[in-house]
Amino acid sequence: MASVADTRPALRFVSPTASRELALIAAIILVCTVFTVASPYFLSVNNLVQTMRAGLELSIVSAGMTLVIIMGGIDVSVGGIVAVSAIVIGKAYQAGLPVYVVTPLGLMAGTALGAFNGFVTTKLKVPPIIATLGSMYIFSAIMFLVIGGAWISGLPGTLSPLVNGWLGFLPASALVIAVVYAIAWVLLRKLPYGNHLYAIGCSEPSARLVGINVDRTKILTYAFLGLLAGLAALLYVARMRNVEINIGTTIALEAIAATILGGTSIRGGVGSLLGTLLGVVFIRIMQNGLVLMGISSLWETVIIGSLLICVLTADALRNRNNPRAQ
Amino acid sequence: MVFKMIGIVKRFGGLTALDHVDFEVGSGEVMALVGDNGAGKSTLIKTMSGAHAPDEGTIEMEGKLVRFRSPQDAWESGIATIFQELALAGKMTVVDNIFLGREIRKPVLGIPFLDRQAMRKRTGELLQQLDVHVPSIDSWVESMSGGQRQGVAIARALNMDARLIIMDEPTAALAVAEVRKVLEFIKTLRTQGKSVVLISHNIQDVFEVSDRISVMRHGRCIAVRETAKTTPQEIIGLITGAHEVRAAAS
Repeated sequence: MASVADTRPALRFVSPTASRELALIAAIILVCTVFTVASPYFLSVNNLVQTMRAGLELSIVSAGMTLVIIMGGIDVSVGGIVAVSAIVIGKAYQAGLPVYVVTPLGLMAGTALGAFNGFVTTKLKVPPIIATLGSMYIFSAIMFLVIGGAWISGLPGTLSPLVNGWLGFLPASALVIAVVYAIAWVLLRKLPYGNHLYAIGCSEPSARLVGINVDRTKILTYAFLGLLAGLAALLYVARMRNVEINIGTTIALEAIAATILGGTSIRGGVGSLLGTLLGVVFIRIMQNGLVLMGISSLWETVIIGSLLICVLTADALRNRNNPRAQ
Repeated sequence: MVFKMIGIVKRFGGLTALDHVDFEVGSGEVMALVGDNGAGKSTLIKTMSGAHAPDEGTIEMEGKLVRFRSPQDAWESGIATIFQELALAGKMTVVDNIFLGREIRKPVLGIPFLDRQAMRKRTGELLQQLDVHVPSIDSWVESMSGGQRQGVAIARALNMDARLIIMDEPTAALAVAEVRKVLEFIKTLRTQGKSVVLISHNIQDVFEVSDRISVMRHGRCIAVRETAKTTPQEIIGLITGAHEVRAAAS
């Protein structure tokens, strides 16, 4: 019988091959070395902690995006969810509601919008990219209709310690990221729900055949991404103390990019949270380093875009001779 | 009889795919189902497995009248169909596949954590019981040979407590040694009292493992023969309709 060694996938945070995670770690070390040589400011505690705080919302949303993409779905409307949740939060603060009411309100708004996406893709059978494109338009329209180009500003910073605080020598934002990823990891690797996600991503008909409630699983997963988007909105408001019209415009595509860079297959069925986290780190460090070097931030998008194409091409080439890869 | 279909009719528009088919499988019996392309074999097994609802006729499983609205209904009645495409999740491990949808849980504070230890142990037992050899129960099913994947699919059916296992062309596209292995699986199932329906184009395989043979032609079940009392020539004659030609000539 096969060895019952500690290769149990159950315990792994990484993908079964771990090659993508290792490649990303190498890439991160490489760019860090380049930036350290190029700029004296890069390798300072202050700069690195700032970079992490700037990546807080992206890393949280990407954890949920990983689950959705593993399931074979996608959500391009997540920026709209962050925006609408932020408006709910801003308006609630303006109405004088206390933080312990505003927080669940913001999380619930995100969850409801995510569940809406899940409902449209499963019950109305709209392909997820189209369904969430539609809801992206709706959500951004809601934002314009409600705040009409103005900012909601002067919001209380009650939750700011979650972003800016320190727990001893540990930045609070690192702790928030750790908690979110730990929860997502338990969902994905420790519960039957996670196995069902992978199964749906591998082959939806076979998941249905063995009696998995595919529709419910999908709606739950989109709702979970919505919940994390609501959390991201809370932290955004805590960090910025305002809600402005550009909120969340890039986060959906960045989260998808981080997830794909991290080794999650866009076709579903394969992926790891560690890969995604490393993908987020890579994207944010690139952005930070290029700014420090005085290079236009447009180049950062060019680099991320090119990397995505390289990664997907490499995957396609590797699967070319494998008829079982769809 | 474990499983019995009486007077099954299935029409697709103007085409009658199944024309009053009677079909039955005994307990611990391997029933082969043969017929030419388009004879109605696929439609019949889809009716057995819950993928199609018959327009007329009744289905009995273990003496109880059943009506399948979906493949899950059939699974729950103890009928497992191992389709050609196998319905395994390629990028998941053997353990995960066998327990998909039937995970063993070990609740902690009401949270249904997976009991990997128990699932791994049971997987080992199932594979041993069937004499399936896989590189590792933690490897992806996608990386395995056709025969090994058949073994995993059968192990999953056993784990779901299937009493009737329908195998659709299990030996097609397999290497010779693998075909041997799959035929061994079928014999093992019989010794464990499971009933098997084997759909195959390969008459040699059919004669090696089956107890009885049902022949389909033009949407009807035209003959049932005991394997020990018939010959490949007779069966091929029934499949191709040569006996009709002879009858007409004489």
